[in-house]
Amino acid sequence: MEESDDRPVRATGRCLCGAIHFEIRGPLRDVVVCHCGQCRRQHGAPPSYTAAPWSNIKLGGASHLKWYQSSEQARRGFCRICGSSLFWEPIGSGRVSIAAGSLNKPTGLRTIRHIFVSDKADFYEITDGLEQLPYSMTAPAT
Amino acid sequence: MNRRTTGGCLCGSVRYEIEGPLPPASACHCERCRRWQGALGIYSLAPSDRYKIKGQRHLAWYESSPGIRRGFCRVCGSKLFWERMGSGQLDVTLGSMDPPVGLKIEKQIKTEDAGDYYDPPP
Repeated sequence: MEESDDRPVRATGRCLCGAIHFEIRGPLRDVVVCHCGQCRRQHGAPPSYTAAPWSNIKLGGASHLKWYQSSEQARRGFCRICGSSLFWEPIGSGRVSIAAGSLNKPTGLRTIRHIFVSDKADFYEITDGLEQLPYSMTAPAT
Repeated sequence: MNRRTTGGCLCGSVRYEIEGPLPPASACHCERCRRWQGALGIYSLAPSDRYKIKGQRHLAWYESSPGIRRGFCRVCGSKLFWERMGSGQLDVTLGSMDPPVGLKIEKQIKTEDAGDYYDPPP
């Protein structure tokens, strides 16, 4: 976290109860919808994520943030009071995905892509015409 | 048609079974669902007495507005339930159900409150 950062705030956000809140400076990645089974279970539906470097995020109420390590590579951050899903972090990457739903409007963001479509559930269809990838940006290692 | 639905959270601490058929789902675009889930709120529902919930000590509840509470796993944060307290009904997220779910989304609700980073279906 930068102690003195005079760049303008690009976006602000919070969990449902407001115990955790944050400011983001610098650019935000366009929104990607993940259709993997882990995201679906944890969010209760396929989530939409933007992303940014941790160093661009100023986090308030961090003592309320609980992490659950959902795989060897990644952990998921949620509010221990209200349960809101906020973050997905590839551990050690220095970057974090931020649940777009936690951002205050206007976000100025657009959804550009669907990922892990090969793992999509049967209770909805993707009808927005956006790019669909079977896995993530690249196929998983075999 | 009778059926039994099973599901649970990502870490497996909370598991549930629902006896009997479930109605088609609604997809809620409201700000509370969006902030809570980071996604649409896609729910079906059943009378509370048709649920068997295991791991209740891991189930946390948050009252998100007067008389409405939301249930999640305190270990992994998975979003499971939405309840109008005293109604005798419990809403359940489709994402927490074991696939194949076998339900469809019939209604889009609160689309006027949708996030600005996507276009809600009509």
